[in-house]
Amino acid sequence: MDLSQYAELFLAESREHLSACNQLLLEWERSPANLAPVGGLFRAVHTVKGMAATMGYARVTDLAHRAENLLDLVRRGGRPATDDLLQLLFRARDALEHAVELSVVAREDEIDVAEVVADLEGAAAHLGRGGEVGAAIGTRTTPVPAPAPVVETPAAAGRLVQVTLRAEAPLKGGRALLVIKKAQAVGPVHAVTPPESAFEADEFDGRFSFRIGGAAGVAEIERVVRAAGEVEHVTVGGEERRPAPGAGALPAAPETKSRHIRVDLGRLDGLMDLIGELVTVRGRLNELAAYARDPAIDDVAIQVSRLSRELQAEIIQARMTPVWQVFDRFPRLVRDLARELGKQVAFRVEGKEIELDRAILDELGDPLLHLLRNAVDHGVESQAERRRRGKKPEAEIVLAAVRERASVAISVSDDGRGIDRKSILERAKRDGVVDPHAEALTDDQLLRVLARPGFSTAEAVTSVSGRGVGIDVAVTRIRALGGSIEIRSVEGKGTTFVMRLPVTLAIVRALIAGVGAERYALPLTYVSETVEFGVQATTTVEGREAIVLRDRVVPLVHLRRLLGVSGDAPTRCPIIVLEMGERRSGIVVDGMLGQQEIVVKGFDAPQGTLPVFSGATIMGDGVPALILDAGGLL
Amino acid sequence: MSHTVLVCDDAIFMRTMISDILAQAGFEVVGEAETGSQAVEKYRQLKPDLVTMDIVMPDMGGIDAVREIVKHDPDAKILMCSAMGQQALVVEAIQAGAKDFVVKPFQPSRVLEAVQRVLG
Repeated sequence: MDLSQYAELFLAESREHLSACNQLLLEWERSPANLAPVGGLFRAVHTVKGMAATMGYARVTDLAHRAENLLDLVRRGGRPATDDLLQLLFRARDALEHAVELSVVAREDEIDVAEVVADLEGAAAHLGRGGEVGAAIGTRTTPVPAPAPVVETPAAAGRLVQVTLRAEAPLKGGRALLVIKKAQAVGPVHAVTPPESAFEADEFDGRFSFRIGGAAGVAEIERVVRAAGEVEHVTVGGEERRPAPGAGALPAAPETKSRHIRVDLGRLDGLMDLIGELVTVRGRLNELAAYARDPAIDDVAIQVSRLSRELQAEIIQARMTPVWQVFDRFPRLVRDLARELGKQVAFRVEGKEIELDRAILDELGDPLLHLLRNAVDHGVESQAERRRRGKKPEAEIVLAAVRERASVAISVSDDGRGIDRKSILERAKRDGVVDPHAEALTDDQLLRVLARPGFSTAEAVTSVSGRGVGIDVAVTRIRALGGSIEIRSVEGKGTTFVMRLPVTLAIVRALIAGVGAERYALPLTYVSETVEFGVQATTTVEGREAIVLRDRVVPLVHLRRLLGVSGDAPTRCPIIVLEMGERRSGIVVDGMLGQQEIVVKGFDAPQGTLPVFSGATIMGDGVPALILDAGGLL
Repeated sequence: MSHTVLVCDDAIFMRTMISDILAQAGFEVVGEAETGSQAVEKYRQLKPDLVTMDIVMPDMGGIDAVREIVKHDPDAKILMCSAMGQQALVVEAIQAGAKDFVVKPFQPSRVLEAVQRVLG
């Protein structure tokens, strides 16, 4: 059998299980006496082992086997986690992840797990004798070479499959045997009940069960069982587990995922592109229908519009991914960083289930990584310093996602020392970033200073982060996604970064504005209202033209001037008011041409282009229009 | 291209009936056999995509024929044709390597379902 076609699936599933291991280890670390996570760890490692053995990845199998052995002993022993044991298990998990990744790309021979395997063995041997794990690691003097892989097939392990044949099925014994034969093709079958010999008897009533090992999932097992024919009912249970003291259920056990299929992301992108084209053509059809004034054509145009809108909604929904898929790796990261820096940090994640377009979510990992590193390294103080300031010694960092109107806000907050505005102001003045007479930095100015490439005020740039560099990366990335980032920092109290992102990138509703002979699209995500220029009184605030809207100053940007369009602007023209968090801006355009859905196409701005465009779109008549970037205009 | 079938049964009636059911569903019946040994011989000559095999036949029975055929072609797709009350024989045939079975009296839909399972 050619196994290479399964490698991708193996990788994806192994990653899921190893990610679950991280969560479970962290949970265990938080309350070492509660052994509930150990059962989940054991099962996750066991599943990886089974899959790796099927794929023929001997080293992964061996490593997983050793880890599983140790976990089994821990589980039976019922003793709380020691720090040494947790460190060893974290190490083993990381080694396993590395080994899995290398195996899949056929670089298995580069895997070097001798040391961690030896430590796992040592710990298991010691635990088996009733000792503590730390002693075992400490007393090991010479590294033990990795022993030959052990692949076990536990007699009572595997999923329980219960089958009922149709009442009218003839010769049920023969049918039952066919079911068993089919099942054997996907995994080792044992514990057949009643025993196969009973199938020859005419009294056999068509109800039987068996256990199946191997890596086959619930859906696959059900499929092969049904493929044998005449099957009325089949239930496929979870992995058999031996009773364990205090072993609780794994919160998101992989086998509880029902009726989902994996789809290559490229497929979804392709589908999105096609629907994008459909949306463009739909726009054209609507324009034609408006010209034709034929009720029949109108009717078709309306139906096409409705259908394509529904199709579009479905595909956007299919692209939605809960943020935990990216967030889940951060608890471990924050823990490791805090340990490295000798700080005590409680890390909390909120709004895990909030969904974002997969394409956006994929881009969020890096910016979040930088912000979290900054928070641990520079944001929160050492325990001693916190005590001196009368704060609780354990610092808190919160990563939260909140759904807003048409966007999602993701924030990273810490309760640390806050940003030292004075020293940043000094530095900003020296660098000429702000007016030399400025006395204080607003949050906006602070962000602008911090986001300058290479800006750092950290006294020493640590291996973890140098303040500024990360923010520069984060700001650039978020802006490229059509989002915004803002900062709130209070000295002594802490710092919060809030990123606002559109829910989806692919198709957005936009205002179409005319300036000169060109049309521009402005996504509605950040449009709060439109007012009229020439009617509204203007004023000047800090040297900038502005209007006052319900007691708030809204600075104006004349798009005509900004883009260098020649000719005179109309005397009365619309102002599009943009709002992004606390910031507002009024964009003065020549005219409003309507609202429509636009398909966002990536856009490589030529050198020297103003940083106010985030992409391009094709209008219904086939003419391209540039998309204005709200973040760049504010 | 349609699938080719070898129909093995000692009764002309049964052979005709099975052939008709399969031909109407678009299969090409390329040969017929009346005994187990003929079935083995014709399987070698014709290499059909599918064999329907009666269990009880003179000379060499269907189960022995399955063993002979599978010995030379482990992937052979053989559908057993059994009568009610032959549970033990059907079990034996499956252990010998038959891929599925139908039970007389034949209902065309059941025969075709079984054929699809075997070929699928």
